Amino acid sequence: MKTGFLRGRSASVALAIVIAVAILAAFGRWLAPQDPIAQNPYAMLQGPSAAHWLGTDAFGRDVLSRLLAGASSSVLASVFSVVIGLVFGVVPGMVSVFLDRRIEWLSLRFIDALMTLPFLVFAIAMTAMLGNGLIQAMFAVGILITPAFYRVSRAATLSVVNSDYIEAARLMGASTTSLIRRHVVRKVLPPVAVAIASMMGACLSIVASLTFLGIGVMPPNPTWGGVLATDLTTLYERPLGPLAPGLLIVATVWALNALADALRDADACPQKVRK
Amino acid sequence: MSTVFENPIGAADNPVQPGIARSGHVLRITAALRFLWATLLVAVPIFLGATLITFLLGHASGLDPAAGIAGDAASPEVVARIRAQFGLDRPVIVQYIAWMAGIARGDFGTSWFNGVPVLLLITQRLPVSLSIAGAALLIGATVGTLLGIAAAVWRGRLIDRAVTGFASVASALPPFVVAIVLILVLSLWLNLLPSAGYIPFSDDPAGWLRVIAIPAMALSVEVIADLARQLRTGLVAALSENYVTGAIVRGLSPRRILFVHVLRNGAGPALSILSVRIPMLIGASVVTETIFTMPGIGKMAADSALRGDVPVVEGTLVVSIVIVLLCSILVNALIAVLQPASRRRG
Amino acid sequence: MSRRWAKWRLILLATLLPVAGCGASSDAYLARVRWAFFMPTSWDPVTSRTGADINTISLAYASLTRLDKHGEPQPALAKSWHYADDGRTLTFDLRPGLTFTDGTRLDAAAVKAFFERGKEQKDSFLKAELMGVERITADTPTRVTLHLSEPDYQLPYVMAGRVGAIASPSAARDTAKLALWPVGAGPFRMVEFVPESHAYLEKNPGYWDAANIHIDRLELTNSPDAATVVAALLSGSIDIVARIPARKVEEARARGLNVVIAPSLSATDVSINRNKPPFDNPKVVEAFRYAFDRQEFVNIATAGVASVTHQPFPSRYFAFQPQLETRWKHDPARARALLREAGYRPGQLSVEIAANPLLVDAGAEIAQAQLARIGVNATIRVVPPGSSSWQSEVYIAKKPQIAIDGTIGRESPVQNLLSVYGPSGIMNLSGPYASPAFLKAVDRVRRTPTDDPNYQARLGEAVAEGVAQSPTNYLYSTPWIVAARPRLKSLNILPSQIRWEGVRVE
Repeated sequence: MKTGFLRGRSASVALAIVIAVAILAAFGRWLAPQDPIAQNPYAMLQGPSAAHWLGTDAFGRDVLSRLLAGASSSVLASVFSVVIGLVFGVVPGMVSVFLDRRIEWLSLRFIDALMTLPFLVFAIAMTAMLGNGLIQAMFAVGILITPAFYRVSRAATLSVVNSDYIEAARLMGASTTSLIRRHVVRKVLPPVAVAIASMMGACLSIVASLTFLGIGVMPPNPTWGGVLATDLTTLYERPLGPLAPGLLIVATVWALNALADALRDADACPQKVRK
Repeated sequence: MSTVFENPIGAADNPVQPGIARSGHVLRITAALRFLWATLLVAVPIFLGATLITFLLGHASGLDPAAGIAGDAASPEVVARIRAQFGLDRPVIVQYIAWMAGIARGDFGTSWFNGVPVLLLITQRLPVSLSIAGAALLIGATVGTLLGIAAAVWRGRLIDRAVTGFASVASALPPFVVAIVLILVLSLWLNLLPSAGYIPFSDDPAGWLRVIAIPAMALSVEVIADLARQLRTGLVAALSENYVTGAIVRGLSPRRILFVHVLRNGAGPALSILSVRIPMLIGASVVTETIFTMPGIGKMAADSALRGDVPVVEGTLVVSIVIVLLCSILVNALIAVLQPASRRRG
Repeated sequence: MSRRWAKWRLILLATLLPVAGCGASSDAYLARVRWAFFMPTSWDPVTSRTGADINTISLAYASLTRLDKHGEPQPALAKSWHYADDGRTLTFDLRPGLTFTDGTRLDAAAVKAFFERGKEQKDSFLKAELMGVERITADTPTRVTLHLSEPDYQLPYVMAGRVGAIASPSAARDTAKLALWPVGAGPFRMVEFVPESHAYLEKNPGYWDAANIHIDRLELTNSPDAATVVAALLSGSIDIVARIPARKVEEARARGLNVVIAPSLSATDVSINRNKPPFDNPKVVEAFRYAFDRQEFVNIATAGVASVTHQPFPSRYFAFQPQLETRWKHDPARARALLREAGYRPGQLSVEIAANPLLVDAGAEIAQAQLARIGVNATIRVVPPGSSSWQSEVYIAKKPQIAIDGTIGRESPVQNLLSVYGPSGIMNLSGPYASPAFLKAVDRVRRTPTDDPNYQARLGEAVAEGVAQSPTNYLYSTPWIVAARPRLKSLNILPSQIRWEGVRVE
């Protein structure tokens, strides 16, 4: 099937990009050829050259080094958010199925309430009011994506709990905890993996937006969104400047989304999921 | 990412399943009333929960107007006096109830920063944000639907691959990237549209359209991508359903099949997407309002948050919560109307 | 129902396309100027917290005098003034028949009421400026006399600014409202104001110099981001921006915009707070005198347009003292040695720099890099945006240890020195500290008539004292860099402010 083949190829491209970015995030600071915060007033706003592969910015700093160093801030911030969302979302989502009906209803409404909050504005508000740093920002974002993980793990747990073989297992005397450990966890993992991938992409996009707006940016530490923002102010001197950080952001987010799609399709094969 | 989110007032968890019977107005009205009651049962706690979260955020920040009024030289007694003056020394629950009571009266408090009533600040800026969000939703719904239908009807062909590819890339574009690219192309290079400022509709309708064009387009890209993809999937599935084959066999025209039957059934998930996108559109308005220097509530909320002006932030968040809830209820009603016979829900 | 929706969608799309192609809205019949600047901290001159507000306040208010291009006071609301022989009374003769925009009379009683409010109102920022004025008398409806505790010949200059921007006493009965809605006798009157967003003003036919105002409507907005400012000018969203980044000059000119570079009194500095450690240690303060490479600031932040200065005004200003420029040279080695004497080895000292997001130059990051070279770790804290956040946090609360700030200058050189170095000077981050020697020198200048042969020398002494006793380091002085669309003619840019008399719109 033509579309199936395409999907396989884009999935492998996506995986390659994600792995590359992960390496950059882990080792970017050491891979950078020059000091990302070293200013050089004699080499400002230069185009690509042998000494500076991507040119220099308005302070004479090497752009390539800044992007490599910025990879860790941007990517690690997204990872942090996703971890927060996982911690506060997955287990409560699973547990909610076994709770008393009224508590379950209340917790669902609480999750709904979180989803009603306007995302970026609330993240900024939370960041600003609790201390303007990237960690606070990503903590706020993590809280706001908790509903996604909650719903995913809850839906998966529900489908397991209501299935026949669980009934049979319980009739045969299996304890609740062993049931959870053996069956529920295994069923919940794949959709949660999909959610992780797509939330990573979303969080990276949000980190880029926040740092673009200057929230959580601690100069002179580079972030992809921050570099993009300053590149836009020097567009006349370096018209291709925003291309590098822009492509990095877009490619990474696309790769994570494509990976999420591929994971979802792989998981969806055995049963027909209507969504 | 789109399919992980659902409509905040998702009827999936709603114990009451309304159904509109095909016989008798009375049954239809009671069903509608039951639906309304069920919606309220869900919406009110959500509203209370969301406003409580908002309020607790302001409380947790520990901010007060003392810093702005008294300055660094303020002694603890002065700070305590100012806090008492603003009622900040009362228990949290009391403050929350007083605040909610005020909102019910229409009193959102006054800005700690310039003493202007919060409601006035919001009403001055709400039309700006709503114009852009509404236009973005309209553009997104229109173009997304057209692209989704085109991709589904001619599935497998070039247009389908183009739309899917576009959707895939477009969902990866942060809104500020799209906004800047559009400014560069449409404003700086082609000199077609302005890139800053806002003109109210009442002043100059044509000017208003011109200033909101680029920001609305920028915000609509994600909606288009999501909607096109979702609609395509839903329509492809619906087109292969049995009743469609039956309709073709019965001799109904393809256009009638498409618009009357297929869209009705495939539109459900697409409408859910639109409703989920609304809180995100309101949130993303911060970015467009900053880039285009527009006096909207998103920018005001962000600036006020950074200044520590808690009443303005809380007031803005409450207003957006209300808008989001109203839109969710509206979409739910729309879905219920569009799918009379089938209560199938993914 | 779906078919009807589809038809409506198509119709809507069809209407959007031709509108997008519409040209700029015609405003030929209405001379309208859209000015991107920033909102004032208060529309009431008495509670305005920063010198830059003179640019916006002078839209709605007229002052007693007006400065010309040389900085000399000319008649405005007052058609003449004279000092008594002992210099202890200053009498202004007002023009007859002046009115405020609310219809009330602008006479000697109104001027007296305004100055009294400036002296007495609890949150007045004019108290320091009016401290030397003991008593004000309204001798006749057009003659008002200021009785001074000591001779002060700077007052006619000072009256050209906010201090002499007379506000309507009847409107001042509600000062909270006046801060949001000005009532004056200036070239324009306000018709709309949205805080933190925009202010719309229309020509005031009752302005004493209305014959020279050729603008019917002035729309004041916040400056757009540096990335979009040129695009905003080209598309017509704004007509004129005061102070675009120096880097943008070439681009603006290349795209056909009119860029005017005119002398100004603005100077950028590194304000230091000696009331906060580590700057309570004089050795650290002295170390910082040798830390900054001013030429590097000029090259990086202003693309060479600015000029180096160690004092709060540019080299062409008559109060400039050349000998101060060579007193402390850029010497990182000496700075490091001094820090070691103070007990800080390289890398041990950490400071936080407060940065103003409204300043177009990115001085904070350059300062950070230069401080790193002398072994000081600096972190940057961007103060939140807003028309008064910087003023609240830095000028009133005096929270930061270091701040990258700038002065826009004042109408009188003594006023300038006092606002930068004086005990209640808002830009004196070390306030209320000011050395007695400095205060004495300033006092001497004030008592000296400006045409006295000793005036220049005494002014020089006051400047020298001020610079020496303050830990603050002035870095460079930037001219006005105003970008405007070619349809604006005869821009009126003074060193102390931007004015609108004579400006024409095509």
